Amino acid sequence: MFRGLRTYGVLAPFAILLAFPFYWMLVTMFKEDLDLYNTSNVPYVYNPLRWKFWESATTKHVTFLFTDTDYPRWILNTAIVGTLVVIITLVVALPAGYALARYSGRWGQTAGVAIFLVYLVPPTLLFLPMSRLIVELGRLPGIDDQRGLQDSLWSLVLVYPSFTIPFATWLLMGFFKTIPQELEDAALIDGCSRIQALVRIVFPVSLPGILTVVIFAFSLCVNEFIYAFTFISTSEHRTISAGVPNQLIRGDVFFWQSLMAATLIPSIVLALLYNVFLDRFIKGFTGGAFR
Amino acid sequence: MARTVDEPNEQRAGMTRGALLRRGTAAAFAVSMFGALNDRALGFYGPLRFAHKQLSGELRILQWDHFVPAYDKWLDGTYLKRWGEKNDVDVKIDHINNALLFSTASSEVAAQSGHDLFQFLSPPSSFQKQIVPVNDIVQEVTKKLGPMSKVGQKSTFNPKTKNYFAFPDNYVPDPIQYRGSLWNQIDTPVRTWEDIRSGAPKLKAMGHPVGLGMSNEIDSNMLLFALLYCYGGFVQNENNQIVFGKGSNRKGAIAALTLMRDIYKNGMSDEVFAWTAASNNQAFLAGRLSLAENAISIARSAEDSGNQTLSDDTWLAPIPRGPVMRMGNEHVMGVYVIWKFAQNKAAAKKYLVDQQLDYREHFLQSKFYNFPGWTGAIKGGFKSIRKIAAADTHKPRGKYTVLTTIAEKYTTNIGYPGYSNAAIDEIFNRYLVPQMFAQVAQGKLTPGEAVTAFDKEFQRIHRKWANQKLV
Repeated sequence: MFRGLRTYGVLAPFAILLAFPFYWMLVTMFKEDLDLYNTSNVPYVYNPLRWKFWESATTKHVTFLFTDTDYPRWILNTAIVGTLVVIITLVVALPAGYALARYSGRWGQTAGVAIFLVYLVPPTLLFLPMSRLIVELGRLPGIDDQRGLQDSLWSLVLVYPSFTIPFATWLLMGFFKTIPQELEDAALIDGCSRIQALVRIVFPVSLPGILTVVIFAFSLCVNEFIYAFTFISTSEHRTISAGVPNQLIRGDVFFWQSLMAATLIPSIVLALLYNVFLDRFIKGFTGGAFR
Repeated sequence: MARTVDEPNEQRAGMTRGALLRRGTAAAFAVSMFGALNDRALGFYGPLRFAHKQLSGELRILQWDHFVPAYDKWLDGTYLKRWGEKNDVDVKIDHINNALLFSTASSEVAAQSGHDLFQFLSPPSSFQKQIVPVNDIVQEVTKKLGPMSKVGQKSTFNPKTKNYFAFPDNYVPDPIQYRGSLWNQIDTPVRTWEDIRSGAPKLKAMGHPVGLGMSNEIDSNMLLFALLYCYGGFVQNENNQIVFGKGSNRKGAIAALTLMRDIYKNGMSDEVFAWTAASNNQAFLAGRLSLAENAISIARSAEDSGNQTLSDDTWLAPIPRGPVMRMGNEHVMGVYVIWKFAQNKAAAKKYLVDQQLDYREHFLQSKFYNFPGWTGAIKGGFKSIRKIAAADTHKPRGKYTVLTTIAEKYTTNIGYPGYSNAAIDEIFNRYLVPQMFAQVAQGKLTPGEAVTAFDKEFQRIHRKWANQKLV
């Protein structure tokens, strides 16, 4: 009993600290303008203070988000881009990570680090040449679109793997190294081909690593701003990260409540996703750390 | 037996329920996933949809998210639709956050592809080599409406190349917005910068500091450039030569820097160094600030916020007078450019002309924010504009009429008394003037040291653009 109390006593401050931004967003999204801007008000509750607190709150800003902006469309676009990028990332990074871990020896280690370094090149440096590339792709023989992939979600599907693949490869490489070679050897002796051994033995054992890549690649897609903003100009084609600041900050007027609602909704989905796979996620990240 | 034309139908009829489900699911998946991807218009527009119209094709426009959402709604849903139908043009408009206009423009230039019409909120002189001169449509509009506003002309004409590199669609007056009751309490008018210097400490003591930004954002930039004019500390002269560190300009700049340092020390708080463009709005709407300089977004937001007391107490005035002059900048200079790589230049030009010839509704829908580049674009000119503004029912009644006075007498271009050229564009967009004021206010440099240091930087920038023959 005492031990349990002590554990919760230690954890509670951290939990409150980490949950506070979510609480702040939740409270703010239902606030009236008058309540929000009055600095003499207590900011953590609805003002004027009432037992029936909902009488001091309003849903109009959340309604505005869903009816006067393309928010539902941005969510759909983000899901589409995220899903496709995750698939592309896995298709490339799984064999690459495996090959670097198993076949390339010391050279593979260096290559792994080099690949990871690619991930560190910031998009702020790359977006100008990438813009050119996106347009040129549309001018290839047979496509003949003067604007190329500009203003198309395909541009993001094509560009995002440029930073998800290096990280995923590096992560999976470390993870594959932790899997005993004997497991694969046994499968080969039992008559499996190399591919079958991979699919039936190695990948199932690597599930925590793969899940980590899935969640991480998807999160990167949701968070990415510069490419999403510069490649896409039509509101209905935008993803959340570019659409929200673009339509909810107008000149020097911020639509704070709608901004809070717009950020809280995907945050909850991502938080739940992380929570469900938390154990595997930790295992995935620490997998390469110990052998 | 020979195959008959009915055979394929028989085959379809033979589809199992399972196969139908599989195909249906696959089709639904494909539509939901890839329907959103295949979202762009094809390049073929077909025959004219409206008979006897001279244009055709697509016109793509990019401009900022107007701070009045209703303006964008009207522009996109009513005006552009009507104009598109009239001219047989498929108009597509995209809106972006104003802080991201330059990065988006850079991206389009790098790609040599993007929108036909691109609206900036300050003259984009440094993009001149990528822009189609618009002398022809400027002449056309001038012929029909009379002379262009001085601020529009000085913002978009390059005397070196003799070209209008942009089309001055609108400009926005930049008034002082202040809490009438607070300034009455300290019995101080808001007429001169000396009034602000003497009133600010008293107001700060009352818990209502003044809010004059010294940060890397548009409001600070506009205000501080204007403060230099008021004290005669001009960055460049009429001939577009940098004169900041010379003679009376140096003296004026030092006086302006000293004034702002005094106001900051006695009447403001540290937050002004980290402000964004929205910060003075928010602090004013929170009831904290006694004065700010901004476009009418503060007054309009106060009206919409439901805080009637604050709204009724928000007064507008022209920029305070300095020892040399009373002169402010446009808060926003809405200029359109046509890129060299634009696909439909003819439609872009026609649109700009038509929009300017019919500007009254733009003025009204923007809640008096957008003043036309040609005053004659609203029939009756300033007289008419004043009348429209006077009809606004918000309290204090008639407060918006002062916008006409500000537009007519106290609004000029960035770079005054010279043109808004490429060197000024770089100085403006690198926020060098706010940085100079901030360094003096924070005591890192004396006013004299700051003028010497920044004059050197201004000269270097000027040389760079002179070498490219744009200044």
